[in-house]
Amino acid sequence: MGESRYVISQTAYVKLVLHALKHKASAVNGILVGRLKQSPASEDNNSINTEGVEIIDVIPLSHAQLGLLPTLEIAITQGEEYFASKGDRLSVVGYYHANERYEDLELSSLAKKIGDHITRYCPQAAILLLYTRDASKVWRQAGSSGSLGVGLVFKEPTANTVLWDYITEGREQDVVDFDDHLDDISKDWLNSNLFN
Amino acid sequence: MVGAAEEAELSRLESQVENGGGNIWEYLCLVKKLKVRCSEKVLRHGMALLNDAKGRSKLGGEVWTLYEQVSVAAMDCGHLEIAKQIHKRKVAIAKAQGNLSGAVDLLNKYLEIFMADYDAWRELADLYISLQMYKQAAFCFEELILAQPSNPFFHLSYAEVLYTLGGLENFKLAKKYYAVAIDLSSGRNTRALYGVCLCGAAINQITKGRSKDEKEGSELHSLAAASLVKNYKQRSPDKAPLVISVLEQMKAFSS
Repeated sequence: MGESRYVISQTAYVKLVLHALKHKASAVNGILVGRLKQSPASEDNNSINTEGVEIIDVIPLSHAQLGLLPTLEIAITQGEEYFASKGDRLSVVGYYHANERYEDLELSSLAKKIGDHITRYCPQAAILLLYTRDASKVWRQAGSSGSLGVGLVFKEPTANTVLWDYITEGREQDVVDFDDHLDDISKDWLNSNLFN
Repeated sequence: MVGAAEEAELSRLESQVENGGGNIWEYLCLVKKLKVRCSEKVLRHGMALLNDAKGRSKLGGEVWTLYEQVSVAAMDCGHLEIAKQIHKRKVAIAKAQGNLSGAVDLLNKYLEIFMADYDAWRELADLYISLQMYKQAAFCFEELILAQPSNPFFHLSYAEVLYTLGGLENFKLAKKYYAVAIDLSSGRNTRALYGVCLCGAAINQITKGRSKDEKEGSELHSLAAASLVKNYKQRSPDKAPLVISVLEQMKAFSS
């Protein structure tokens, strides 16, 4: 298995950082949505080589009681269903987690457990741990088994500039996560209007 | 028994402190060492020291001892509110340092004395959940339900913890508590409605192929699903088809 590359789109990146910024005093988490990039079938047709993972979007999940399963399950089911129906080979590809205290850089066992839960849906799932002290820094951890060389790159180099603009506008207040949706179903967890 | 020399030292420090001359920490340490009971003074000067940020930081790790000493003095004087505040501050500090298990221990000690503080029970439950100690979290919610049986939030949280624990008995019990939450919230609580469907699906999965009489309660399941769909159609119509599809997969609708 060669190096796995993770490419993150501006939409996904900005959304997840804004989500973390909206809830500064608590941990937040969410699901990564995207597609697997596959290399052409090799001579030995037994294995499908995954060249990398493209993270296209995120579904922000919770900002309270992250350790409980029901919200996670409803969100994954609906998210998978929604993105699969768009017919673009989109599916759940990972999980992001931002710890409560900004100097806490450890991947908690809770985050690992949720990551495990998600690898049932996608074996190449990655966990993205957001280091929120400096909003432009993103930590990457190898969430799936084995010690792959993991790299994370931005798809659009303008991602951080755009993010900064949104932060100065205070856009993070408009982010809706699944917790917010369950409290008021008229709130849109797809955040379709966030970037207008 | 306090010896003469020590008594002199104590008086000296006491008058220094009473006259605003500082050295509060030395005074308090001596009081503690000699086991002298002068709680009012300890409380007064101890609180002054606690509220002085510079003085506090000079103490370093000893600040915990100070907190302990002052809170005991507070209780001795009957100032329960102050004792409560001190305990809460200790818990908040432990949490801010990332010492979650320390915070749990402190909260447990606090609740042994102030067992009717429901906010503390909730905070303890949240801590247990982040530590993935679900059985202990469940116990906290049991206490909260006993204390406030008409609050749907506690029944809901208890159900969520049970669901997370998993297993047939827990799913069945969770379903009952979700049902109570629906009842107490007049059918408007989305999480409870989804919860019933999730439990139903989980139970059906486990009891697949078992005798028919174990497959009870699917009526509740369908009612909850129908209610969810109705709510979505009213308030979030573009999501309704997605929800219907997901619920169908969970076999929520009676065939």
